[in-house]
Amino acid sequence: MSSSNVNPPVGESFPDSHSVSDSSDSSNEEGWEDVEPDEESQPVVGLFTDQIFPDARSMLKECKGKYNFDLLKIQKDLDLDFLDNIKLVNYVRTQVKKGNNTPDVSSKSNFEDDVYLKPVLEDDALLYSLDDLADEQGEDAVPATETNRQVLELQENLERLQNQFSEYRLAVQKSMDDQLSKEDDKLAESNPQPSAKAVDRLQDAEDGYFVSYAYNGIHESMLKDTIRTDAYRDFVYENKNVFKDKVVLDVGCGTGILSMFCAKAGAKKVIAVDNSNIIDRAKEIVHDNGLGDVITCIRGKIEEVTLPVEKVDIIISEWMGYGLLFEAMFDSVIYARDRYLAPNGLMAPSHATLRLAPYADPDFIASHISFWNNVYGFKMDSMLHKIYDEAVVRSTQPSTIVGGSQIFLTLPLHTITVEELSFLKEFQVTLNQDVDALDGWAIWFDIFFMPSRESVLPEDAIPSDMRKKGIVSFTTGPDGIETHWQQTILLIDHAKDQAKGGSQALKKGQVITGKIGYEKTEKGSRGVDISVQWESDSNEKGVQLWSLQ
Amino acid sequence: MDTESDSPQGITSSADRMVGMEHSEVRYFTSYDHHGIHEEMLKDDVRTRSYRDSIYQNRHIFKDKVVLDVGCGTGILSMFAARAGAKHVIGVDMSSIIEKARQIVDVNGLSDKITLLQGKMEEVNLPFPKVDIIISEWMGYFLLYESMLDTVLYARDTYLNPGGLIFPDKATMYVAGIEDGDYKDDKIGFWDNVYGFDYSPMKEIALNEPLVDTVEMKALVTDPCAIITFDLNTVTAADLAFKVPYALTAKRPDFIHALIAWFDIEFSACHKPIHFSTGPHAKYTHWKQTVFYLRDVLTVEEEERVTGWVENRPNDKNKRDLDISISYKFETPDATRAAEGGCFYRM
Repeated sequence: MSSSNVNPPVGESFPDSHSVSDSSDSSNEEGWEDVEPDEESQPVVGLFTDQIFPDARSMLKECKGKYNFDLLKIQKDLDLDFLDNIKLVNYVRTQVKKGNNTPDVSSKSNFEDDVYLKPVLEDDALLYSLDDLADEQGEDAVPATETNRQVLELQENLERLQNQFSEYRLAVQKSMDDQLSKEDDKLAESNPQPSAKAVDRLQDAEDGYFVSYAYNGIHESMLKDTIRTDAYRDFVYENKNVFKDKVVLDVGCGTGILSMFCAKAGAKKVIAVDNSNIIDRAKEIVHDNGLGDVITCIRGKIEEVTLPVEKVDIIISEWMGYGLLFEAMFDSVIYARDRYLAPNGLMAPSHATLRLAPYADPDFIASHISFWNNVYGFKMDSMLHKIYDEAVVRSTQPSTIVGGSQIFLTLPLHTITVEELSFLKEFQVTLNQDVDALDGWAIWFDIFFMPSRESVLPEDAIPSDMRKKGIVSFTTGPDGIETHWQQTILLIDHAKDQAKGGSQALKKGQVITGKIGYEKTEKGSRGVDISVQWESDSNEKGVQLWSLQ
Repeated sequence: MDTESDSPQGITSSADRMVGMEHSEVRYFTSYDHHGIHEEMLKDDVRTRSYRDSIYQNRHIFKDKVVLDVGCGTGILSMFAARAGAKHVIGVDMSSIIEKARQIVDVNGLSDKITLLQGKMEEVNLPFPKVDIIISEWMGYFLLYESMLDTVLYARDTYLNPGGLIFPDKATMYVAGIEDGDYKDDKIGFWDNVYGFDYSPMKEIALNEPLVDTVEMKALVTDPCAIITFDLNTVTAADLAFKVPYALTAKRPDFIHALIAWFDIEFSACHKPIHFSTGPHAKYTHWKQTVFYLRDVLTVEEEERVTGWVENRPNDKNKRDLDISISYKFETPDATRAAEGGCFYRM
């Protein structure tokens, strides 16, 4: 190895996937000159091979000769405008990538989807050469003597090209903007903090084109939550007879995974709706998997979009939020059911149950609550001020559940109404061990997929039992494998009861009765206010309100 | 935003929390984040102890001085400085966490020594025209992501007396190559087959997001290479956009899937300099390391070298975002292994 390699020479460069939005930086020659070579001869990757050609002309010549593919003729025959041309190139590249060397270009409609605005190759020089090519063709017709006119024409062409290109950038940018804003909505639902940040990202999108949207992580974690995704998959694939030739509506489709399960299971048609612009990715994914004929992706709120059908046979949806009802997405599912589900149609899942159990976790209290009493020699317990007002979503050990859990609400998806989602229910639990203090309440939910709308969920249904009976179901409780929903913990503020003696030890076998209520947080937000009022036979009692936001 | 006030380290950490499983102990989804983020900071013992030691061990430097704490968060550094004998401490933070800081300072009997101001550094009115010492915990992931360094530099240029001190005052960034096949497969390869479906549209996005995660020492394939040092006494905001070369020498035959970056921090104004590292060889910090997956897998032999450039600049539209480019060139007589390429990242 020669020593000159120790420090790469100034000006050494690398493929810059950002070059569209960064074109203004090309004036900064250092390090970028190889990337933005002479406009005249940008190397172009072949349409049908990976071969690199010195320019678009030679590449297209080869396409015409070897693959009987005449891009310029197609442009002319189909009367393609600038954006159409871009779509055409990306369509052809997509098809070839999938192994189809004879893409169907007989009609514009084959590649009119906006999906094809997105370059298949990074820095696809062909996309930027399209107009030159068209112009070069025309050039031959211009008499060489009319130099002035030619210059004028070229200037016009240049102007037009610039306009068209900025139009293209706008189109792509708009699609990115939409996508980001929708992602932000989604994010805002689950975490108010990054949303401010996300607004910044939205502004970023002006850079357009190449924007890494950081919320991939959310979809990744959803898909990797195998308890969740496996359950949907198992229900659909194990009940192909239910899905065969049916029309299915997927409410809040995300990346489209549930829709694709249904399509694979033989559904006649799947309509995937999402208000987030992840729908653009879903479209691509559906298309890449050859399911574009079955699945129709629609962007928008279910309350506002127009579906291509009057009624559907099945509604599938993964709508569950923290504490089940945080995010209020379930309202939209109920709307979809009332508006679109055929009289004998099926909801998947079909049932949800909400459970509550007494919670005691001295280790958690010590490491997260008592911690603030002495931080490097300072008292910082004012940091605790709000912790008791807010529900905590965290994963708890089964050992912290110190009594039997009780179902406080069963949600039959075929019949439940929005009004029933605000409620006050009684509960009674019995401690199964001695505790020094009742630290709070743990809430989680279980989900069941009954294969017909007539099926009745047994009282006190438990997913592990139901699975033995062949019913697909899962729990988000501490006894199950952890899901991204974890559990919702309501910590009791004993200091508030100091006058009444604060926390007290409780004995195994003691019974606690009370009422738990869910109300939507007022502002019409996606938050939920949860109240619990409780009393034990030893006079441990209290009432407290928590918000889940 | 600064690391100890209301903006958690944004995107990555919320994504982490969603994935969440391995860090469930300190991960909360809901508003407990407000507490959780501060708890995580304060419990980052390497961080907090380094600040404490650099202040408590230098009481002779802090005695009777006017101190400015830029991005004071819960006020812990301000309280360290007050206890060390400062004449007065001014803590500034944009976030509403400052209300908590006021209560905390009050409870600890330091209200007459510490003035807390909520607002932008550029807009608040300090009770002193000049200060003797600036303390700040401004570092973000990859040192500069969502960092407050530009605010610290503004405070330095506007308020610091000639000869005044900055704690800390030196930051050095490093890169190294790692073997990370399994995790790369988990993060990037995952999208090739999701329940039997091709999810490649998600893959490109995943490649362009640096990952903040802990990297085990044994994953290191190369020596580390220091790429840039910032001296806070002299650095300017413009210097935070940089393009620098690196050269890495493999220490064993292995594969390189990614480059990682980390930083070291030094309090050189101390009587006896104090420093800490956020590298894979050092004790865990909440900054972890930043992982940049390469498009290629480099198959390297011992003593072979990978060279390239790291370019970083604040995003034009959002200065707290970073546009990062990393190029690599692996030259070897064995043409089947030689590789060259680059990738753009945004965080």
